[in-house]
Amino acid sequence: MKRKSTLFALVACLMISLLTSACSSSEQPAASNEPSSTGNDPVKLVVWIWETAKDGLDLNMEAFQAKYPNIEVEFQTMKSTDLYSKYLITSSTSDAVPDIIAVESTNLSQIVQIDSLLDITDRVEPYKDKMSAYKWEDATKDGKIYAMPWDSGPVVMFYRNDLFAEAGLPTDPEEVAQKIQTWEDYYEAAKLVKEKTGAYMYGDSKTNSSSRMFESMMWQRGLWYFDNNGNVAVDSPEVKESADFLIKMQKEELVFDARANTDQWGNGIRDGKIATVVGGSWHDAIIENQYSPSDAGKWSITMMPKWSKEDAYTGANQGGANLAINKNSKHPEEAWNFIEFMLGNEESQVKMMTGAGLFPALLLGDDVSMDEASAYFNNQPIRKVYAQSLANTYPLAYTSDFPMANKLMTDVWAKVFLNDMSSEQALKEMANELRSKTKRN
Amino acid sequence: MKTSRWNKQLLFAPYIYISPYFILFFIFSLYPILYSFYLSFTDWNGSGEKTMVGFSNYVELFGDRSFWLSLWNSSLIFLMYVPVMLFLGLIFASLLNSNWMVGKGFFRMALFVPNFVSVVAVSFVFVLLFNTQDGLINSVLRNIGLIDRPLPWLESPWWARLSVAMMVMYRWLGYNMLLLMTGLQNISKDLYEAAYVDGATKWKSFFFITIPLVKKMLLFCTVLSTIGTFSLFTEPFILTQGGPLNSTLTPVLMLYTESFQNFNFGYASSIAVCFFILMMVISLLQMRVFDDKD
Repeated sequence: MKRKSTLFALVACLMISLLTSACSSSEQPAASNEPSSTGNDPVKLVVWIWETAKDGLDLNMEAFQAKYPNIEVEFQTMKSTDLYSKYLITSSTSDAVPDIIAVESTNLSQIVQIDSLLDITDRVEPYKDKMSAYKWEDATKDGKIYAMPWDSGPVVMFYRNDLFAEAGLPTDPEEVAQKIQTWEDYYEAAKLVKEKTGAYMYGDSKTNSSSRMFESMMWQRGLWYFDNNGNVAVDSPEVKESADFLIKMQKEELVFDARANTDQWGNGIRDGKIATVVGGSWHDAIIENQYSPSDAGKWSITMMPKWSKEDAYTGANQGGANLAINKNSKHPEEAWNFIEFMLGNEESQVKMMTGAGLFPALLLGDDVSMDEASAYFNNQPIRKVYAQSLANTYPLAYTSDFPMANKLMTDVWAKVFLNDMSSEQALKEMANELRSKTKRN
Repeated sequence: MKTSRWNKQLLFAPYIYISPYFILFFIFSLYPILYSFYLSFTDWNGSGEKTMVGFSNYVELFGDRSFWLSLWNSSLIFLMYVPVMLFLGLIFASLLNSNWMVGKGFFRMALFVPNFVSVVAVSFVFVLLFNTQDGLINSVLRNIGLIDRPLPWLESPWWARLSVAMMVMYRWLGYNMLLLMTGLQNISKDLYEAAYVDGATKWKSFFFITIPLVKKMLLFCTVLSTIGTFSLFTEPFILTQGGPLNSTLTPVLMLYTESFQNFNFGYASSIAVCFFILMMVISLLQMRVFDDKD
């Protein structure tokens, strides 16, 4: 008898210990909130980030180590989409790791809504006027700020000089900007390019579009999936106009059929089948290093076309990232030191711009690197174009339901091209689905 | 006294021996399952407050066209590959089980390897193969003159479903073949010899001896394939992201999208619960249908 009961006790102990260890993580942060390592104890920060963004931070790591020898930084890289879902799980168990996460602006508002980031309103106060103003909105919830802006993706038009010349179009950036002022001009140019060279004007998939070009077209007009009051606005006549323009481009076979920023699309770039890329500034690195390294001198950059000549804003934003601190981090002070050093400091930001192609959200003064000519892009001072685009960008935010809206937009194109649905009907269906899923008006 | 203690031990010992499994099962399976039952009655964004909403997630789910579409897609994909796969699997199994076949070990391995190669890696290879503009499949078909225009392997609803079905079949053919082979090995050789003496051809003995006697194993394979098809995730996730127009959306992919992309954990849990009930009912039905005559 006795032996049996001891066995039961053992099993019970095992179960209890397993159960408690499984549940205890939620109590940890409360116990460990005491001020940590204000002295000289070395502190280790864990940063979750994706590869290309880490490449930027790496450029400044040496200087950071020199200034803060007691802070050790460990980068854990993963795909950005995996990062968000992993962080969601971490935050629901109140884990103290990671201390810092990188978040794209496209997903920032969604992450802010789950209340797992540290409120850094007071800390960012000195930087409020030094950053591109539109970046703050997605980082804000109920008047509190939860993330520090990193870089922007000012949208510009990359174009192939050789194809433009063959089509009888100008090639000088100023002249191109004059010639292609509106999207209607862009359409006319596309027809010329197709006719004279056989190349397509841009690359985008009919059935699996990322909708990024469409979003840029909305952004520059101050239109979005949602309006200023947060109501669903995709069924507005202005949005339909922009959509119809891109549908016309597709139907007249002026578009290379591949989702932007996939290998298929990159092959089109490499083979000279795509004449322009209307996209964020970070496309320069993608074209130069990833897909078309042997085409130095063939690409130039100018402002993107507008909807109508009277529009106040020319530019749009595509992407861009931010850094934020986990609310449960044990080292919020050190984490902020790191973020401030990397993003609030002109020197670090310039390094990331020149070395990794990350165009800073931090407004730079008259920095010499802005005028630097790019050897690949026809010796053009490309950053000046980015700065010009950024200065002309409509102050718009992605908003929290952007990821869902973007996904539904893909289906709108597919309905139009596969099922021959009218754009009006497809956008209306999308609006209804968005309304019911996000409980908006 | 001594014997009764021994008896008691006999009574309890088995439970203690199997307890490690059950302890782990309770913590890592049963608890999450019950928790998702609970979550399905709440509205929760993954952190922060949960609000009880009663049955409204279920009401919304039953009115959600995507959910019904995901079940429909799974059924179509199932029909596209399971009959072919089981038939081919049985033929390969009989070939590899016959006396005259050479290189049995090699073929067995060659057919089974796709099953344990990482799905993610295989999916990426299939993405390259199915690529419309310059994928290998389209290039080959075009060069031998079978098609003029590239086939939209991943860009049109029906082709996308077929592509997913083909990839699943590639992966699971060998596994089902192995299962069927174990079934074949249980069939007595005497039966074939008797049939041979009676003048039956190879095909006749295949249809009238082999198939009826591996029926149990075929049922088992069908049940596994049903569950497997409805819970497909990696293949459509990487090949098509559920598109175009949700034509390759499966219930599990929908669950993932709702939870980890849209942060609707309550709604996602209601999908999980319905999925669980549905799979249970289908499995029971299939067992009934195949079982009646024995």
